[in-house]
Amino acid sequence: MMKLLFTLIFSFVSIGYVHASELAAESGEDVFFRGWQYRTDIVQSNIDRYNNEMGGNVDYATVTGDYPAIMEQNLMSGGDLDIFYANPSQASRYFDGGWVKPANELPNFDEIKADMYPAMLDAWTYKGKLLGLSYFVSTRGTMHVNLQKLEEIGMSESDLPKNWDELYDSIYKMKDAGVKYPYLPHWFSEWYGISWAYVWEVMNRGGLVADPDTHQPMLTADGPGGDALRDWKRVWNDGLIPEEVLTYNESSYMEAFKSGEYVISPQQIYDLASFNDPANSKIAGHVSLLPYQGQSWGVLDSAVYVMSNRDRSDALESDVEKMASWYGYKDQNGEPFVGANWLNVSMLFSGYKSVMESPDAKSTIQNALARPEDYETVLEVYKNTPYPKGVWSVTWAPIFNSWLKETMTEFLLEDKSVEDTVNAINDKINELNDEYGIGG
Amino acid sequence: MRQNKEISDLKFALFMSLPVIFFLIFVVIYPLAYAFWMSLHKVSMFGGLKFKFIGFSNYLKVVTNEKFWDALFVSIRFTIESTILTLLLGLLIALILSKPFKYKTLIRSMIIIPWSISLYGCGIMWAQIGRGQTGLFTAIYHLFGGDDKVNLIGKNYVIELLALGNAWNLSPLVAFFLLSNISTIPKRLYDLADIDKMSNFEKFWNVTFPPLRFTIFVFTCITIVMSLKLHDFIFTLSQGGPGRVSSTLTYEIYKLSFKNMQLGFGSAMSFYLLFLIVGSTLMLYWLWGRRLEK
Amino acid sequence: MYLGLFVLLIWTLTPIYWYLKLAFLTPNNINIFPPVFLPDDMHFGAFFNIFGYDYTTADNILLPASGQASQVIRGLLNSLFVSIISTIITMIVIVPLAYTFSRLTFRFKTALLLTILLSVALPPISTLIPFFAMYVKLGLTGTKFGLIIVTLTITIPFVTWMLIGYFRNIPPIEKLGRIDGYGRFETFLKVFIPVSKNGILVAAVISFIFSWNEFTYASILVNGTKAVTFPTSISSFLFQHPHPQHLSASLFLGMIPPFIVAVFLQRYISEMNIVDPLR
Repeated sequence: MMKLLFTLIFSFVSIGYVHASELAAESGEDVFFRGWQYRTDIVQSNIDRYNNEMGGNVDYATVTGDYPAIMEQNLMSGGDLDIFYANPSQASRYFDGGWVKPANELPNFDEIKADMYPAMLDAWTYKGKLLGLSYFVSTRGTMHVNLQKLEEIGMSESDLPKNWDELYDSIYKMKDAGVKYPYLPHWFSEWYGISWAYVWEVMNRGGLVADPDTHQPMLTADGPGGDALRDWKRVWNDGLIPEEVLTYNESSYMEAFKSGEYVISPQQIYDLASFNDPANSKIAGHVSLLPYQGQSWGVLDSAVYVMSNRDRSDALESDVEKMASWYGYKDQNGEPFVGANWLNVSMLFSGYKSVMESPDAKSTIQNALARPEDYETVLEVYKNTPYPKGVWSVTWAPIFNSWLKETMTEFLLEDKSVEDTVNAINDKINELNDEYGIGG
Repeated sequence: MRQNKEISDLKFALFMSLPVIFFLIFVVIYPLAYAFWMSLHKVSMFGGLKFKFIGFSNYLKVVTNEKFWDALFVSIRFTIESTILTLLLGLLIALILSKPFKYKTLIRSMIIIPWSISLYGCGIMWAQIGRGQTGLFTAIYHLFGGDDKVNLIGKNYVIELLALGNAWNLSPLVAFFLLSNISTIPKRLYDLADIDKMSNFEKFWNVTFPPLRFTIFVFTCITIVMSLKLHDFIFTLSQGGPGRVSSTLTYEIYKLSFKNMQLGFGSAMSFYLLFLIVGSTLMLYWLWGRRLEK
Repeated sequence: MYLGLFVLLIWTLTPIYWYLKLAFLTPNNINIFPPVFLPDDMHFGAFFNIFGYDYTTADNILLPASGQASQVIRGLLNSLFVSIISTIITMIVIVPLAYTFSRLTFRFKTALLLTILLSVALPPISTLIPFFAMYVKLGLTGTKFGLIIVTLTITIPFVTWMLIGYFRNIPPIEKLGRIDGYGRFETFLKVFIPVSKNGILVAAVISFIFSWNEFTYASILVNGTKAVTFPTSISSFLFQHPHPQHLSASLFLGMIPPFIVAVFLQRYISEMNIVDPLR
């Protein structure tokens, strides 16, 4: 009897609690949540928690292949899609296509905005609207170093390069020291592969591919854009790069570095955690990174949870907002649950101060690294990472990107001239600006 | 009496093929016509589906496009290699299987497995085999003391790898049809050949081969058509890469239409591909098939 | 002789083995370089993972359940549904057609046959372009109905062609029907179909394999929707941050139905004469 009573009271309280929570789902309809494939086990467990505790009906699945293009097709056909991952460069295009419901429409927008780092707010704001809520932030192109291999060839950390010019020279030294392929460049075949590698190298060297405001082309053959190409051509033609990297997907790219044959490779900053995890990697405990020494490394890679603006019932509309807010910001207890979880599990940084400045954040990150002192290095590299507004915060960003990917690969394979390639890139940007009526 | 109840051949045929005529009109002819109509337009889907009539400029744009000619060359090279490999392998498999041996059903069942595997699956498998980091050839090379990677998904060999994988998938089918042909050859002919003291090769050339010729012709056509049409295998194996090295016409059409969303331009290129497919089979018929029919 | 058979089996099975061994490996064993022929510590973990169960190996390594389990299961169900329905439709359409072609002479016969051969020659990627545009307009992307319709463009032409050849080799048994006093249609239903049921079964099985293995259409039309089919749902293990062991395990599962069918089929396949209709 008492037991029954307790059960009744308990269920009453818990029902009351869920109702009291502003974030509980009410429509009973499915909310379609889509993303690319990354640690889907974690995503599913986050979603399960939301569905259980908030009474949600979130339908989660991954979308694969050429993600930016397939998402565009799905948005275009107005299919079942409510919340999805996007890089800011894709989200800008989707916004111009009229398919995005900006995060400004969320009831707690002001609170969210106040918790964001200004740099991220800036990167994710397009035409005055916040495109979505923070999924992750990272430095793609952080130079990872396999200390074990470095030691094997009789070199020490003081021999490591400080900038791109030195990097290419040091590859030759490593080769002479007996490594067949010392450097695994970020030239793989995904939309964020070789083309991004070029964009960030130009920026790291102090140049720009396109102007951040007018989106006019900025490359010159004798500037950083040309320098990068000349170095690429040199190491490629000298056979220092395994050809197959051009056809890798990201996993093959990471697996190749994990196998321990390479000394140095630009990777995601958060993958320091994965490379140093013994369950996943042969070189666990030996992977460190190049510090910031006056030159930035890589590019600010990030993704947001974007809401689509397809036709929905009012009840569903409000469920989508609640889910976006719960998942992309704070749960019913006021904790940035999903963001903190990502930091814990795979060292994904967040755009929120409440995640990054929490008491546990520092030790979490330190534990994931090969050496505790790398913590400061990581933050320093991360703080100095540039964001390519000129080619990313613009309608044609994904189109240009897939064109650039092909062009860079051909530049290497067909030994095209540096001048022609620089001109071709500038021409393409002009052509796209004309087509979309930008800056004219 | 009975004669009146019978309907004429044409009427009965029409009645029986009504479903298929229906199908042909709505699922083949109409879309084909629609594709042609699209190819005369600049189709943009960004911010709503829009069509702008531009006449035949898409067709002109295709032939003046360097990527089209590269892809055409890749397609032709891939198709020729695939066809030769598939038929040689098919013939070889058929000859081996035509001899008597134990566990016949079991072995024949295993031989046909590759054909039952989906092409996207084959692509995934052959990518693993061909890639230097994970590949079979690297493993073999290391077994014999080498220390480098043997990568086939590169500029030099990727098309050959594609053709080999394609032949691996198609040849069992060819073999099984050839096998049924071989089994109809009277044993008496081989006995006669023995009397003539023919060598094994002479036997093959003079006795086994002649009745197979028409089947081989048909499968040559089929392999050509299948190879020119192939998309999913290339999509999962090499993504047309590195760069555009293995980008066939189908892959180029895929990129134009579904990555860049230039559907009009994509359909125009599709029609060139269709002409290539139909043209090459007709030419083969004219050069070779016609003579076999008599 | 037996050497030839041996080489043949190696040639046939190695590519499959080389990929499928990944299904039995732990992530840190997959990236061993140089790749090995017979890896240590093989286990069935991935097969549990793809259906949403954790697995702990003998060495106490926890392999977490894949977050894509629900879409793998959904993909299996959708693929079954799409394949069965399109097979049924295919058979309803083609059996009468193949019959008329192999048994009757009538006007337009050659034209019709040529149209069918032409549709065999159409590349799926080209067919997809008009369908995609039409489906976006009609709201048919992401639906099983839409996918079934396009799948028919693959199954119908090829299987019709096969069946015509098979029907031609069946002796003229229609006379029996006349003796029983059947009309033409009854003869077809009650005499002809029972006699040719083997061939019809094989044709059905082939059209099932074709739709089960279809990837090009599905990857554009239903990718990431509720109508996702098995090939597209597992291709999500392929890109970006893939799990080779999960992909391999799923691929293995996906091979089983066509494999069973092929074993059954190898006895009958050569009766499906795809050569004759062209003579």
